Amino acid sequence: MNAVWLVLIISGCVVALATGNVEALMSSVLEGAYDAVELVIGLTGIFCLWVGIERLANESGLIDALSRVTRPVLGPLFPYVKDEEKIMGAISATIISNILGLSSQTPLGLKAMAEIKRIHGESSEAIHSMITLVVISAAGFCIFPSGVIALRAALGSQNPAIVAGPTAVAGLVSTCAGLLAHRLFSKCLR
Amino acid sequence: MMFFLANLGMYVFPVILIGVPLYAWAKGVPVYETFVKGAEEGLQVVTSTLPYLIAIFVGISCFRGSGALELVSKYMSRLLKPLGIPSEVLPILVTRPISGSGSLGVTGEILRIHGPDTSLGLLASILQGATDTSFYVVTIYFGSVGIRKTKHALPACLIGDLFGFLTGFIVWKLMVYGR
Repeated sequence: MNAVWLVLIISGCVVALATGNVEALMSSVLEGAYDAVELVIGLTGIFCLWVGIERLANESGLIDALSRVTRPVLGPLFPYVKDEEKIMGAISATIISNILGLSSQTPLGLKAMAEIKRIHGESSEAIHSMITLVVISAAGFCIFPSGVIALRAALGSQNPAIVAGPTAVAGLVSTCAGLLAHRLFSKCLR
Repeated sequence: MMFFLANLGMYVFPVILIGVPLYAWAKGVPVYETFVKGAEEGLQVVTSTLPYLIAIFVGISCFRGSGALELVSKYMSRLLKPLGIPSEVLPILVTRPISGSGSLGVTGEILRIHGPDTSLGLLASILQGATDTSFYVVTIYFGSVGIRKTKHALPACLIGDLFGFLTGFIVWKLMVYGR
């Protein structure tokens, strides 16, 4: 992330200086900082709602039940957390939200990250299963991409949902490729 | 079938909203207190991501506002021309992993100019929906647990995006030839 951040900032500044775009750069950067705060404020309510419901599901035993159902499928993807029902439950809830396109995907995803951290202890480095979860979430395999479909409908498409099949296939391939890359990287870099 | 899928999320939401608290209540969990405790935890989680989000948003807006993003798209379009990908959609490929709202804006422009049901409009929609915003996901997920060394998470996500785009492109080709 260090290198990525530096590259973004330095290349931006160099290009702005070279093209005389400095004023646009200034306003864009300030707007970026403002947008981050606005995003977090906008997300706060959704987060509190979903983590609240997750807590209820957790204490009533629903999360444990969920992890038992999904274990045959998700267990092999997360070899290091197999025996931790709470972690697998939170991870399962995240992935199901992703697939259904529910607003709970990020709140539950972060909750799952916190669970992994709680079990595995403090670490300044990313843990294997954390990266797996991030790769799956970033690939965004979803049976119904509501954002694009809403946009298509708003712009007068005759069949706004026709793209759902292709995006699902692309999302599935993206997930598999990301997981494969994760596997290769963790073997090679060890 | 399509209609059912389209509304699946809408049906699942109330089921969870009613079902989970009812089940917890039946199991003897103090529902109100537990929900509030969870909401408090949610508040902590979301605020802990703010510094990371500010950092990455500032970096990205620096890259975008300066015109560097446009330059990269321009060079990329030269590189990708032999593959037969229409140059109009290339900004989506470059923007999608970096900024979700940014690439949605680009997609919206293409759909407005060319129409959502034209072959170009279809391709733009498919590429937009193919993946999620990798930079955002990596930032917020690792930020929330205070992890700065993300190892190979971002490269792995970007490789996933690349294959997602390629698959989207191939499926689009099949769709367009099929009609």
